[in-house]
Amino acid sequence: MVEWKEITPRVAKMRERYRSTTPKLCTARFRLVTDFYKNNLHIAGIMRRALNLKNLFENIPVLVNEDELIVGEQGTSYRASAIYPEFNFGWLVDELINGDPATRETDAYIVSEEDKAYILQEKDFWLQVNLSTMTDANLPEGYKPHVGNGVLMYNAFNNARTPVGHFCADHEKAINVGFGAIKREAEEKMAEIEAMGIMGDTAKQYNFYRAVSIVCDGIITWTKRYGQECARQAAECTDPVRKEELLTMADSLNWIVENPCRTYWEAMQCIYIYHLGMCLDGQQHGISLGRVDQYLGKFYEADIAAGRLTPEKAQELMDLFILKLAEPNKMVQYNPVTIANPGYTSGFLVTMGGVDRDGVDASNPVTYMMLQTAGRMLLHSPPFALRVHKGTPDPLWELAIEVTKRAGGVPTFESDDVIIKALMKRGLPLEVARNYCLIGCVEPAGMAVEWAQPGGDGCESYINLTNAVLLAINDGTNPMPGKDGTVKQHSGLRTGFLYEMETFDEVLEAVKKQVEFFTRWHVANECMWESLAEQFMPLPLVSATFGGCMESGKDVMSGGARYNSTGNSCIGLGNVADSLNIIRYMCYDKKLCTTREFYDAIMANWEGYEELHQIVVNEAPHFGNNIPEADAYIGWIAKIYADSINSSYGPRGRWSAGSYPVTLNTVFGLNTWATPDGRKTGMPLSDGISPVQGMDKSGPLASLNSVLNFDQSDFGNGTLLNMKIHPTALKGEEGLLKLKALMQTYFARGGMEMQLNIIDSDTLREAQEHPEDFRDLVVRVAGFSAYFVEVFKDCQDDLIRRTEMGL
Amino acid sequence: MPLTGKIYDIQGFSVQDGPGIRTTVFLKGCPLRCPWCHSPESQAFYPQLSWISMRCVGTKYCQERCIKACPKQAIKAEGTRIDSLTGEELQLIHVDRTLCDNCGECAKACHPHALYICGEDYTVDDVVKRVLADKSFYEHSGGGATVSGGEALSQLEFTKELLRRLKEEGIHTALDTTGFAPWEAVEAVMPYVDLFLYDLKHMDSERHQATVAVPNERILDNARRIAAAGGKLQVRIPVIPMFNDSEENIRATAAFCKELGDAVTVVQLLPYHNMGVSKYARISDGTVLEATPPSDEKMQQLKGIMEEYGLNVTIH
Repeated sequence: MVEWKEITPRVAKMRERYRSTTPKLCTARFRLVTDFYKNNLHIAGIMRRALNLKNLFENIPVLVNEDELIVGEQGTSYRASAIYPEFNFGWLVDELINGDPATRETDAYIVSEEDKAYILQEKDFWLQVNLSTMTDANLPEGYKPHVGNGVLMYNAFNNARTPVGHFCADHEKAINVGFGAIKREAEEKMAEIEAMGIMGDTAKQYNFYRAVSIVCDGIITWTKRYGQECARQAAECTDPVRKEELLTMADSLNWIVENPCRTYWEAMQCIYIYHLGMCLDGQQHGISLGRVDQYLGKFYEADIAAGRLTPEKAQELMDLFILKLAEPNKMVQYNPVTIANPGYTSGFLVTMGGVDRDGVDASNPVTYMMLQTAGRMLLHSPPFALRVHKGTPDPLWELAIEVTKRAGGVPTFESDDVIIKALMKRGLPLEVARNYCLIGCVEPAGMAVEWAQPGGDGCESYINLTNAVLLAINDGTNPMPGKDGTVKQHSGLRTGFLYEMETFDEVLEAVKKQVEFFTRWHVANECMWESLAEQFMPLPLVSATFGGCMESGKDVMSGGARYNSTGNSCIGLGNVADSLNIIRYMCYDKKLCTTREFYDAIMANWEGYEELHQIVVNEAPHFGNNIPEADAYIGWIAKIYADSINSSYGPRGRWSAGSYPVTLNTVFGLNTWATPDGRKTGMPLSDGISPVQGMDKSGPLASLNSVLNFDQSDFGNGTLLNMKIHPTALKGEEGLLKLKALMQTYFARGGMEMQLNIIDSDTLREAQEHPEDFRDLVVRVAGFSAYFVEVFKDCQDDLIRRTEMGL
Repeated sequence: MPLTGKIYDIQGFSVQDGPGIRTTVFLKGCPLRCPWCHSPESQAFYPQLSWISMRCVGTKYCQERCIKACPKQAIKAEGTRIDSLTGEELQLIHVDRTLCDNCGECAKACHPHALYICGEDYTVDDVVKRVLADKSFYEHSGGGATVSGGEALSQLEFTKELLRRLKEEGIHTALDTTGFAPWEAVEAVMPYVDLFLYDLKHMDSERHQATVAVPNERILDNARRIAAAGGKLQVRIPVIPMFNDSEENIRATAAFCKELGDAVTVVQLLPYHNMGVSKYARISDGTVLEATPPSDEKMQQLKGIMEEYGLNVTIH
């Protein structure tokens, strides 16, 4: 049985502050960046970004909140969101002019009148000088006729919040080497180049090292400013205990970041400062922390052995560290971005467990402390990913399952076997693949050596496969009318209409053509975006530690990392698998209707075709029930998509297929017309690689058997399987063992990732009606966990609708 | 004609019916009539028309397909429900059970399967194939297949052949039984049963007969014989308030289990729950007695009593 450790009064108090604060939108960063950009028009490229960041580090107010042991803020008040106008700006102007962010349904922000006036005063400058505008302006000519197809994400103008923060820098280097040494390394490289003479491409390298040196100075200064603030507060503090803490913190902050960390506490603070520094630079969303238990393990053991630390104090620090990771948030466009990622989430994914470089289990006492934090603090963020393998110790399994019973989807379970294989397939050596971590939502990457970012136009990189099917049977036109109600222009390939297709093979051929067509355009857009982002948004603070950059003299955005890939995710695999099979079943195999009737029914959103709809939904076989004929097309579409993506390449290297939707399955669903599987217009699409909601009626084993019909190791960018298990299925110790066996079987047979919501729909319905009583109910939404009462209603309904497994 | 059995459900990831992850095959028909039965559809030996109101899309949408299909005019529009997605009020139906002969014509017409026939004929091959689909899950969890009911021993030939085939496939088998069957039936399946999930409802035969319609002598006797023949028993006691939850009966049951010796691997106390109540309305107009489930304290107390006899007791 798991014993939950006590939460200290300090932690409880700080958690309450976290839960009850409505963040402010703070203009401190905005003002500094605006002044810097306007007054330094002559500075460009990586030097502009480096000096801009250094200016922030030197001047942004430092804030040490009451009771804190781990410090760092991006704004002038607790949990305030900064503004990042260099990336995208139009949405903020629209929202400030047309509404009040304080009245948002989810993720409200308080903006003062004075700040609002200042933001709007600077709008003309920023509306021109932001990456999003530049990306929009550079959209490939040939693509423009295809906008509005619904297959590609690229239609969210003004919203390139990129580079997307789906990466993990080398925290081990920051902790164990320090930015003082990295700065010296950069200066030595500059001296070497100077000695040889700055010729040809070395000018670029020289500037890269110069930028690294500048940001190293910056982050050291910022950390010392926190040290000074702690010392100042200590001088004024009358409580001797707090005074002592502040003095210790001041001493640490004057030392760390510049020099190698000496203790567990210092290592934690170093991780946090480095992490927040990267956020302040602007990529915040989804910046990942990597294998935190691995960084901290040796510090913990040394401190315990030396008597500097007790396990209780270590747990309190872990609680506060994780809470601190939960706090940062970034105000983003409300629709579609916030409603896809509600709950003030920044998604700073942490990875735990797994094997070491030799293949031996690497879990340590810190792994357990992290899970203790997750199970007791009930935070929806940061997300936790637990790597599991054949040698994962039973107590770790047990603790992790107990955590997931308390907090939906925390942790996600990641199979080392399948992921290591998938990473090797895309070119990582065994040892590097073994040291993978999860980045962003669920994407595996070689930790701090593989730049595996998702593409960045629109937001991240998604392909809605469901619409590819609709376009395939509708001669390349998206049947969903535009926002103004007008019929969309034809935008895809002219593949003909369903009623013209005499055989089912013609349908398959049309779908294949549309998927390949849109993949090509998607890659084209992303490559165009990346070529601009490389110029305008290099990341010297990340590159300072990232494996390969200091050797190559190139920024991560320019391909300086040792390994490179570009992640993509598809949405609606389940809907496509069902749609194809049902077209075959209804029109070509059983001939229950003509292709014309079936086409008309879809185009009528099934209205007036109730009987046909009932047959499609209830009598035609569906993917997810372990019926071979119904599962025939999941493998087909998965392969078409994966081959198409995996054979594409960007400026830095090859692409990598994935399938995880965050909640975009709901958001995309709102804008996707009725589909051949019986789904009606506006309803959510299927979630990750899971079968269509409510269509897997034969229990969890049948559902898993069906899902295992395609090779997940072709999906190196991650898959997501969301299981909802009824709590009665897990009663007692035996229930726990059975759940563990369920996951082990799935993983042994090629499953990559699983996350669980162990809850019944009655509880969710009750929470919907009485949110005040369910304030701490954490559920897994898809790519992340959230407080159920804080996600928007369509998304709540989708969660309720999902199959209740195990009943 | 291949051998067939009347089956009302096959459930994967069944976690309450024996060790590990199991697939449970539910056979239809039972000689007992336990008033607390949470699977009322398991009692009759013949196929029965069932109706689940939540699946009914309303007569407006299906254009009264079931009403038109019924040769006995047993179905009428009656009652409504609110659709949770659209908020629309749907016109539901009612089946007059005095007229219905379970012919199934309405079920054939009902696309959403709100009306369906509960109890279908399966061949042994069908069932074995279905059970084997989940084999990898049994291997990781130490699970297998459970044959349950109703009373599976009432369909002896089918049950015996099914268990034999499953053993042949290397599947761990459990038989969930009331124990109410001739010893010869038990003896016939014994070579193919790794574990009996064995219900003991009351030690007093008169109370037993008065409440569940059969006496208990044969049940107790079969248990003794299974133990003597080297079989393993996981004893299951449904704890029903006011019926078998007295200290006296629990002590008598514990003493009996102790008498069976090592054959009893574990005694499971299954507190009464009312989750089966809504199922009665699916197959009949009859009402069922509802009781308050026993409290956790009560269950712990009964567990404590049984443990005094040196038994390994769990609460489910």
